[in-house]
Amino acid sequence: MILIIGGAYQGKLDFAKDTFGVTDEDVHICDGDRIDFSRRCICKIEAFTACSEDPIGYFETHRQAWQDSILIMQDIFCGVVPMGAENRAWRQRTGRLAQYLSREAQQVSRIFCGLEQRLK
Amino acid sequence: MTYFISGGAKSGKSSLAQNLTVALAKGGRHYYVATMISTGGEDDERIRRHLANRDGMGFETVECFCNILDCLQTADKDSVFLVDSVTALIQNALFPIEKNYKMDLEAAGCCADGLVEFAHTARHVVFVSDYIYSDAERYSESTEMYRKCLADIDRRLAAVCDTVIEVSAGQPIIYKGELCI
Repeated sequence: MILIIGGAYQGKLDFAKDTFGVTDEDVHICDGDRIDFSRRCICKIEAFTACSEDPIGYFETHRQAWQDSILIMQDIFCGVVPMGAENRAWRQRTGRLAQYLSREAQQVSRIFCGLEQRLK
Repeated sequence: MTYFISGGAKSGKSSLAQNLTVALAKGGRHYYVATMISTGGEDDERIRRHLANRDGMGFETVECFCNILDCLQTADKDSVFLVDSVTALIQNALFPIEKNYKMDLEAAGCCADGLVEFAHTARHVVFVSDYIYSDAERYSESTEMYRKCLADIDRRLAAVCDTVIEVSAGQPIIYKGELCI
C-alpha cells in the first residue's frame, strides 16, 4: 500500500495519476462510511473518517482488500484545535488512522505544491 | 534562477527570501515588489517592520498590487525581484477593494497567468507564498475559493521554478533544485 498525504489542493491525486498511472476509473472518492476497495486508488479518506465512528477498525476488517492500494488523505492536522466537538473528534480519528496507515504502508509520500517529499 | 518559497506564518520565509535575493544580485540591482495594499494601522505597522528588516540591504521598492508584469515598465528585467507575496497579489485580484471585495475569479486567473509569465521573463525571481492548507477548519465558500486559487498558482509556480523550498522554523526543506546560499 502507498499512502499519499498533503494539504488541501496540493495535487495529491495528480501525483498518483502521474506516478502510478491511476486513471479516473481507478478512483473511489470517499463520501460515506463505506469504501469501495475494488478501486485501486482511494481518495479523500478524510471524508470517510467524517462518517465512520471507527475508521481503524474498518480498515483492519478489510485489511486484505487494500494491501495493493493507493490511499490518499488530506493533512488536516496543523490548525488550531477546532471549536466544535465534532470537528475535534473527526480530526483525531483521522490523525490516528493516518498513523496506522503510515505504519502499514510500504511508501508514504507527502505532497507540497505538487512536489513529493518521501516520508517512508 | 527562479525560486518558490512557502511555509507557515512566521516561519522565516521572508528573511530567507531577502537573503537569497541579495545573494543572487551579487551587488547588482534588486527589487522588492511591494504587494500589500494597506487597509489601516495594523498593515502600516507591518509594512514599517518589513521596511526596517530590509533596511541596508540595498533593495529598490517597486509597488505592484495585481499584475506583476506591470513592474517591468519601470524595473529592469535582468535584475533580481523579490515577490513577497504571491498570497497578497492573489488576494488583491480575487477580492478587489475597488469592487468592494466582490470575488473576481477572472482577475485572479489573469494575476496567476502574469506570475507564471513573470517567472519566465525576469532573470532572477524569488516568489514567496503562504502555506494555508493543513487545518481542519470548515471555511466559507469565498475563503475556500481563495485557498484553491492560491494553491493553483503555488503549484504552477512550483512546477516552473528552478528551486522550491518550504521553510519551517527558519530551516529550509528543499523539494527541487538547490539553495545557493
